[in-house]
Amino acid sequence: MRKLQGFWRTGLHHGTAVTVTAVFLLPLFWMLVTSVRQPGLPPQRTVEWLPESIRWQNYADLFVMMPTARYIVNSLKVIAVAVPVTLFIASTAGFGMSQLASAWRRRLFLGSAVLLMIPGTAVWMFRFQILQWLGLIDSLWALIIPAFAASNPLFVLLFYWTYRQVPASIFESARLDGADALTVWWQMARPLARPTAVGVIILTFVMYWNDFIAPVLYIYDAQLYTLPLGIQILKQLEYGNWPYLMAGSVVMMLPIIFLFILLQRAFLHNISLANLFERN
Amino acid sequence: MRTEQLTTHQKTLQRVKKRPFSTYQFQTRLFLFPYILGTFILVVLPALATVVIAFTNYNTIRPPEWVGLENFFRLSQSAYARISIQNSLYFIGLAVPLRILGALLLALLLQRKRRLFGLHRAAVYTPTVIPPVAYSLLWLWILNPVYGPLNIFLGWLGLPMPAWLTEPGSARLAMVILSLFQIGEGFVVLLAGLQTIPRALYESAKVDGASGWQSFWRITLPLLVPWLLLLTFRDLLVSIENTFTPSFVITYGGPYYSTTFAPLLVYELAFDFFDFGMAAAFMLLFFVLMALLIGGITALVGPRFVREDA
Repeated sequence: MRKLQGFWRTGLHHGTAVTVTAVFLLPLFWMLVTSVRQPGLPPQRTVEWLPESIRWQNYADLFVMMPTARYIVNSLKVIAVAVPVTLFIASTAGFGMSQLASAWRRRLFLGSAVLLMIPGTAVWMFRFQILQWLGLIDSLWALIIPAFAASNPLFVLLFYWTYRQVPASIFESARLDGADALTVWWQMARPLARPTAVGVIILTFVMYWNDFIAPVLYIYDAQLYTLPLGIQILKQLEYGNWPYLMAGSVVMMLPIIFLFILLQRAFLHNISLANLFERN
Repeated sequence: MRTEQLTTHQKTLQRVKKRPFSTYQFQTRLFLFPYILGTFILVVLPALATVVIAFTNYNTIRPPEWVGLENFFRLSQSAYARISIQNSLYFIGLAVPLRILGALLLALLLQRKRRLFGLHRAAVYTPTVIPPVAYSLLWLWILNPVYGPLNIFLGWLGLPMPAWLTEPGSARLAMVILSLFQIGEGFVVLLAGLQTIPRALYESAKVDGASGWQSFWRITLPLLVPWLLLLTFRDLLVSIENTFTPSFVITYGGPYYSTTFAPLLVYELAFDFFDFGMAAAFMLLFFVLMALLIGGITALVGPRFVREDA
């Protein structure tokens, strides 16, 4: 009797979980289905689970009706600079922080935590002025520049937490061998933080790929539009033409989904810190 | 062989002497320099400057003049500012509790290690990482009053089918609804929070004959209070920020300013009218309002929480 009750409860648990997943993923499924519908047809009045015919041409059309390729290249240019810079600044700063005396470590930690609470809106205006002074309005550098401040204080804290877990004696012995800080970081600390680095790379990629606000605020030259602005233009070009709008959204979304699948594998297959120390 | 070893050892000693401990510490401090400088210039300075700009007639072209409280006086006269504050408070009042509650329920549902639960967790997290522009377009379609899947579903169920984006009340509600699916951050934080609760507490409660419901109210919830508070504070500041892209892309603040939330009004004041002074004053006003709200919640929940802890 008890066992049977347990069976039903487990079933209910799984059933609820599946329902939740369906609610969260169904819109994305519709997005995909709609993106390959024949454009220009009268919209369906019932929910269409599968399209009658699949038209991949919609995706090719996106690249003809507007300079989608250029938007993608601009987005990738921003990412190609912003991601490595963020990784370098965040990793070195996190290492530097982990080597400080405890009083300063605490101050810097609190400072970074307070920074996380500052609303983005509060920095829009004067950042515009600073970028104007630097001559960076209407330049992809306006979008890249946060990378030089590690993009997000959280990334510095992630590296800091990782390096704090490493026994201090490991870095000390290298230091006594006469290695300078850069060598210690590059040869000893950095390889230990590989899982953290993977996480930060992915989060940074998502941050710059998704970024809509910064280009809206700081980019006026149509040659420099990134993909999110392109999607906004597509909305104006093809208002109500759902197959194209959804195809654009899928193009925007695909790298993110792909990265997150990659992330799961990276986290699963990575040599974690714990493993590494067990082997020594 | 022996001499060679000796010489390497001597070399090492020399190197250590050449690069004393303090040099290493100096170098590690240098590592912090770009982060601190960059953050100061790009975040701290602009945030502090906003406070100062609020008392000037700054517009990036003319040199700013000090105008005292004039911007705040103009704000108090402005119907847009009032509507925007009302909209924002409506959004925060409805979205923040529902978002926290949703994240908590989902974390409780999916906390255990079961088959496929990793997949379910990923599904819950997915809408949070979707590019906001794509997410907005998706909802523009979902909310279409005639062809949108949402109204087709509501029609099937025989429920009323609102006009969503064309009618002020339902458009404002729609903005809350679409924010309720982007709760991945809170969900992950609460999953981590649940992991920190020792299993032994539940086991001893079970031995004492406590029901699942009782152990939730007596163990889980009290121990999650700090996590929930932290999330609430962050959500008070962040969830309203996240309305910018949907309200910009889907409705551009309409209809009848019903989806003009605080960030969109700051954008319009600053980047459509180039009235940085007004925009900064509004930003400051809103921030003070949020700080008061956070202070109020702390005063209300804080003492009770501390007593339980002691």
